Amino acid sequence: MSEANADDLAQAVLDTVREASAAMRLIAADEILEQLLARGVATQLPTPPEANPCLLLAAILAGLPGIAALNSLSGRPVYHDLALLSRTYARILDRKDATEVLLAEEIRSNSRDYPRPVPVELFEKTPFNLAPETIAAALKTLSCDQEFQDITSLTTAAGAVYLFSTLYLKRGYAVFLAEQEASLAGNP
Amino acid sequence: MAVRSGGFVGKVLRVDLSTGKISTEDTLERYGALLGGAGIGYRVLWDEVPAGTGPFDPANKLIFAAGLLVGTSVPCNGRTTITTIFPTCWPRPLVGSGHMGGHFAAKLKYAGYDALIVEGKADKPVWLMIRDAHVEIRDAGHVWGTGIRRTTLEISQEMGPDCVVAAIGQAGENQAPMGMVVNSVSHSAGGVGGVMGGKNLKAVAVQGSGAVRIAGDMAAWEKLIKFHLSILGGNNQHVVPSFPTPQAEYYNPASRWIGQPGKRWGAAKPPVEITGTLRDPNRIAYRTNSAAYFLGDAAWKYTVRGNGCTACPIRCHTMLKVPSVTTKYGIPDTGQNTCVALMFGRSFFTQLAGQKNSETAIEACMVGMHLADDLGLWSNYGQLQRDLRKLYEGGYLKARLGSKEYASIPWEKYDNADPAFLLDLIPRIANRQGELGEVLSRGTGAIFDHWSIPEAQWAEDHTTTYWKMGHPKHHANEDDGQCGVIINTQYNRDAQCHSHTNFVRNGLPLEVQKKLAAAIWGSPDALDAPGDYTPANVPKARRAKWSLVRKELHDALGVCNWMGPWAASPLQERGYAGDDSLESKFVSLATGQAMDREGLDQAGERIFTLHRALTIRDMGHVDMRAGHDLVPPWVFKDQNGAAPFTKGSIRMDPDDIARAMEYFYEIMGWDKKTGAPGKARYAELGLADVGEALDAAGLTPKAEK
Repeated sequence: MSEANADDLAQAVLDTVREASAAMRLIAADEILEQLLARGVATQLPTPPEANPCLLLAAILAGLPGIAALNSLSGRPVYHDLALLSRTYARILDRKDATEVLLAEEIRSNSRDYPRPVPVELFEKTPFNLAPETIAAALKTLSCDQEFQDITSLTTAAGAVYLFSTLYLKRGYAVFLAEQEASLAGNP
Repeated sequence: MAVRSGGFVGKVLRVDLSTGKISTEDTLERYGALLGGAGIGYRVLWDEVPAGTGPFDPANKLIFAAGLLVGTSVPCNGRTTITTIFPTCWPRPLVGSGHMGGHFAAKLKYAGYDALIVEGKADKPVWLMIRDAHVEIRDAGHVWGTGIRRTTLEISQEMGPDCVVAAIGQAGENQAPMGMVVNSVSHSAGGVGGVMGGKNLKAVAVQGSGAVRIAGDMAAWEKLIKFHLSILGGNNQHVVPSFPTPQAEYYNPASRWIGQPGKRWGAAKPPVEITGTLRDPNRIAYRTNSAAYFLGDAAWKYTVRGNGCTACPIRCHTMLKVPSVTTKYGIPDTGQNTCVALMFGRSFFTQLAGQKNSETAIEACMVGMHLADDLGLWSNYGQLQRDLRKLYEGGYLKARLGSKEYASIPWEKYDNADPAFLLDLIPRIANRQGELGEVLSRGTGAIFDHWSIPEAQWAEDHTTTYWKMGHPKHHANEDDGQCGVIINTQYNRDAQCHSHTNFVRNGLPLEVQKKLAAAIWGSPDALDAPGDYTPANVPKARRAKWSLVRKELHDALGVCNWMGPWAASPLQERGYAGDDSLESKFVSLATGQAMDREGLDQAGERIFTLHRALTIRDMGHVDMRAGHDLVPPWVFKDQNGAAPFTKGSIRMDPDDIARAMEYFYEIMGWDKKTGAPGKARYAELGLADVGEALDAAGLTPKAEK
């Protein structure tokens, strides 16, 4: 492939990932290939058994600035443009069909990174948009799964329910943080 | 600075209500080094109002001051500072300032004035008309006794369109220390309404046809404005949204950036659906909805729009339309406000205080806003409401109030959290009616004096959030450990400082905050996670000083310290850094004379130190540490008995706070024993005359001599 053709291909790959990210969608290498072929862009790519074109695309993607790979729950890498689709949001999208994992990992990352417990209503709102009964069922499932025994809840004095991970927050501190967050609207 | 410096408009207007004399003086000649705002106010009080002057004495003065950046296109520049001998400061009145947003400050500058000094006392009710160079004291007999809305309407009709009216209501007329002045019917400044009333001054109305000159390069100015917009977050400079968005790496459910696509201003005609990316600087106004943040998501359907102050894209002053309140309580269905004033009504009721998504709480807020903003009654940052709750629920009123008066108050409505209770209570206070109304109209200190209640009964009770001198805490140890404590010791009223809390609550993960802290204050240890406090250190004291100096600086520039400083930003590409030298860049371009961050911060420190000097002079003793910089006992207790520095406790340690104060005094260049500046320190800050006067009066530290 000539240098000019390689540049065109890289640009086409970049555009494809950006289009997907702008539409809030993660995209895998085989989907990128499919779109490129449909547009007649990737005709010069070698085909099996000579070489795996997806591997070539992966190499191209690795060199594109601002494009990140995420090891998805399905086990394959998916790609997104960090400027259009942040890592945090990409993870949420990836886990959307696995409610228990979505909740557990979101709770863990909040407990670890900020640190803070999160109000259970967080998951009823955009972009989670889960029904209260779906959340309740998922939390029940988590409580029975050995892998998620760190996910737990607390209730503030005013009755608000917060979720946190005991891997990163001790209950006493989580209670303090939850009470404090619940009081912020009265402490302007 | 040269006389033709930009930013300033050049004149200070002086009106003597006793003699009717109206005059002007050059701003830069006398006040240039103090920039504006409280800087001018403190200087006038220092030079012209003798120690011992009472708030309602004709000798007291009211200084309405805009700031150097007011009336330009700098975001959030709508602040007016009103400085005076502050009437709710207890046990003796001392210097203090009330602050209001809206458009009064900009109008004052467009009329050609950086500040307005009101002195003396009119022999009958008057209002002050300012139309550019035409200034007139007019009779206010026809509006005396009426509320702020009617007064604003009457004067607006008299003056014509495009004026801004700042008026007092009945509380101010009655010289209630808890009176406030309100411009544009809802932008209020607490504690100064009664001082206006004491001067028989019902209102000040301003029309201005001029402009504020920018002396520097216009292209650079526009570029800086665009940059500033790019680093803005939502309300209080919360730089991450409260929910995950595709464009943001971080989110925080506690963030005041709550607007998002799909939400709608349901009471707008037609309703406005929020769409698109709110990262766009042209859509910043959709990020904030104070009503929905403070009152809950249920407030979205009542939202008409976000209102606000001059050149402010945040629009925190939410307008609500709640039709049910007209039929139920006989009040207008539309009201607007922000922060504590928005929650004025709800906060009286224990059952409703802090409650979200309650229709009754929303109605209580509408009733409270209507009455407070019309009668001109201040809340003292919610202390009025906490006082009433403690007095009633603690049995104080039943024991102390005359039985006839007690029986005349509809307590059953209070017990049932019925907003109609406010229709009785709030006018009672504004009109200083009966014993309860009279005492509450004077502020918290009057409760101690009148009913012989020891101050300690408030100061030991965490739920009152009472701090000292008749005023509550304002973002203290619950938000920011020792830094918050230091800040709350420094003023004669609540601290009104948001520099520190806006950073702590900005929504970024602790690790990112610590990186930013290291860059600005020299160490990641300048900041702790809330409730995970480590012992006092120098970087925390440095951050406390920075916070106080920026607060004074913002007041002097006329920019909003509720929205700034802009130490953090939503921009990942900047590592979430804001720009700590933003204010000095704006001042340099506005005036046309280079001023770096350190130079401008020194001006802020000069102003803050002048406040200290006035406090020392008027208290008549130098030992600020023992007599002024006080911390209430509740700060050193934990409701669950946890020890200081226990994770999950805000309890402070007395010895540690003593060390924190010493670090702070040292960084300020003040005497560690007394917490007072010495003569040399005053001189270093350009206040040599102040230092000499205090020294001559024996009010500088002995250690220096």
